[in-house]
Amino acid sequence: MSNVRQRAGLLTPAMAVIGVLLVLPLGLMAFVSTLERGRDGGVIWSRHTLDAYVQFLFERDLMDNLVLNTDYLQIFARSIGLATTTAVLTLVIAFPIALWMAFQPPQRRTFLLFVVTVPFWTNLLVRNYAWILLLRNGGVFDRLAQSTGLTHEPLNVLYSPLATGIGLVYSFLPFMILPIYVSLEKLDRRLIEAAFDLGANRWHALTRIILPLSMPGIVGGFILVFVPCLGAFVTPALLGGGKSLMIGSLIQQQFGQSRNWPFGAALAFVLLALIVFALVLHGLRYRRLAGRLT
Amino acid sequence: MARVATNEGAREQGSSTLHAEVPPAQAQSNIAVDCIGLAKRFAGGSVVALDGVSLTIRSNEFFTLLGPSGCGKTTLLRLIAGFETQDEGSILVQGQKLDGLPPFRRPVNTVFQSYAVFPHMSVEDNIAFGLRMQRRPRSEIASRVKEMLALVRLGGLEKRKPAQLSGGQQQRVALARALATEPRVLLLDEPLSALDQKLRAGMQLELKRLQNEVGITFIFVTHDQHEALTMSDRIAVMNAGRILQLGTPEEIYERPTARFVADFIGDTNLIEARRVSPGRFRILSGVEVEADEAGTIGDDVTLAVRPERVILGAPGQGPLAGAVDQIVYEGTDTTYHVRLAPGVRFRVCEQNRGGARPRFRQGDAVSLSLPADAVRVLVE
Ligand SMILES: Nc1ncnc2c1ncn2[C@@H]1O[C@H](COP(=O)(O)OP(=O)(O)OP(=O)(O)O)[C@@H](O)[C@H]1O
Ligand SMILES: [Mg+2]
Repeated sequence: MSNVRQRAGLLTPAMAVIGVLLVLPLGLMAFVSTLERGRDGGVIWSRHTLDAYVQFLFERDLMDNLVLNTDYLQIFARSIGLATTTAVLTLVIAFPIALWMAFQPPQRRTFLLFVVTVPFWTNLLVRNYAWILLLRNGGVFDRLAQSTGLTHEPLNVLYSPLATGIGLVYSFLPFMILPIYVSLEKLDRRLIEAAFDLGANRWHALTRIILPLSMPGIVGGFILVFVPCLGAFVTPALLGGGKSLMIGSLIQQQFGQSRNWPFGAALAFVLLALIVFALVLHGLRYRRLAGRLT
Repeated sequence: MARVATNEGAREQGSSTLHAEVPPAQAQSNIAVDCIGLAKRFAGGSVVALDGVSLTIRSNEFFTLLGPSGCGKTTLLRLIAGFETQDEGSILVQGQKLDGLPPFRRPVNTVFQSYAVFPHMSVEDNIAFGLRMQRRPRSEIASRVKEMLALVRLGGLEKRKPAQLSGGQQQRVALARALATEPRVLLLDEPLSALDQKLRAGMQLELKRLQNEVGITFIFVTHDQHEALTMSDRIAVMNAGRILQLGTPEEIYERPTARFVADFIGDTNLIEARRVSPGRFRILSGVEVEADEAGTIGDDVTLAVRPERVILGAPGQGPLAGAVDQIVYEGTDTTYHVRLAPGVRFRVCEQNRGGARPRFRQGDAVSLSLPADAVRVLVE
């Protein structure tokens, strides 16, 4: 009995932190999403309505009928597409780097790990501005392409989805490299030797031994990149020029210029629900795989 | 080092003349693995793991490497398998030089000291791995896996993952996996160390049977002397990166040439002695023994006598007089520790033919005699 009380006591600080920093704000957000929008921004705390969620899918025509409006769905689809592309590209770039790092001598590995984390030392905004300087017409890449005769037109990369992609991949690369590196470093080298010994060439050793065994790191990295990418708004705004709206920018707008807090909260909630749904689905699949073993 | 180099030169010359006279297939048919002057150093040269090892292993031989921990057994196997590159020397398998070939191009398979079973694959996928890499037909793989499962007695566990197996079962998966592709040479690094006595004896028999039936050459590493003596065709005793003696189990046990070998294998009485005339040695003041002397040796030598070869008798029966210090009952045998002089003790081992009651008791005066053919004269 005292044991139970003791455990409860030990758990209190952690529960308090989670409660204050996670449950409370989320609850507040959910509550706000069910309120009526105030005339000059803010909300009317006493009036409840599900208008915000209706607005996500429908709009009112002249006759005041609800008709389906796919604008916001399109933004969601575009964001999911961008996040997926970014995560896949990041994975493709990060895996060989992590693999190479994991097979270096120990002292050099420590140094390389440090190098990977160097970008974290600079603010995300500053790094995005740096990319603007690199990508803009008359910037380094543009001049390089024109002087080598690759093209005679300006590149026009900046303020395009491509620039957003480049910026996102760049920002999130460390989040993919680190978990993959960790799982590769743990991997027992003798398993690779055993595969070679049994006649596997390098490709087969990679696809049958190294890749499956580093799957936890790959999945972890994918989630770490995909989820924040979905809500990213700095990079799409600065490098994409805010031309094609992303979820993150949309939500930010609702709390900013549009002064529509309930709608912003509802959008954030739908996004959260989507992510949780994806994670649960993945978790179930994982458990089913694990269940198949026993 | 110079000696190794000339050795190698002489050897290569020798083999090239051999090739000229005898068709290559015949010349190579009875040699499975040839190691010539292998040297391997680690940590920038500060650790010498192998120090000029030359061996010739015959086809279909059960060859055992025996030696204390850290003497370089695993390193030698890793060089043959291709996981490490030797600093000096070369390796030939069936006449083909392996130097520079990656592990997957070498006709040898390894059973690793640490099992190294693939944790994400089921037992059957582990066993099938090598066969799949060789692109064998599906039906053949299936039947071969079944055969291997029966061989290592893992039938019924084919769907399990390694995490759900005991250490001994994992070891058997590793064995089955290496055997499945029928390599010409199988390297086994303490493959039976995690098995219980009974299973171990069973697997020893299976390995011998495989060797006879399939005609695989085994290079076997073990710490277990009994296992080495009962299973091997020949044994190489190693210490500190060198081979000290190479011979049949009987030669190694009965006629050790080096002090280390005599001491390492089985139980041995070692005595410092001085030669008084050819074949006669003085071990204590006034006590001389006879020994078969092989080759020329200095005047100060070490003699080795196996405890079971010493004849224990009542006082006066043998030339050496002493007293029983201690009696150790060991089940099938009893060992008497006999003190001949202060600081000079002899162990004598007798089979318990007449039951557990010892013939002598502690403190009894006894005598020992050493048959001439039981006394070995050792080089340092
Ligand atoms: N990668 C390595 N780096 C540095 N030293 C090594 C390395 N591998 C082996 N050694 C050293 O080489 C020597 C021989 O090692 P090896 O593994 O061949 O011994 P072993 O005879 O197999 O021993 P055991 O019976 O304990 O398995 C040891 O002194 C060991 O410390
Ligand atoms: Mg070893």
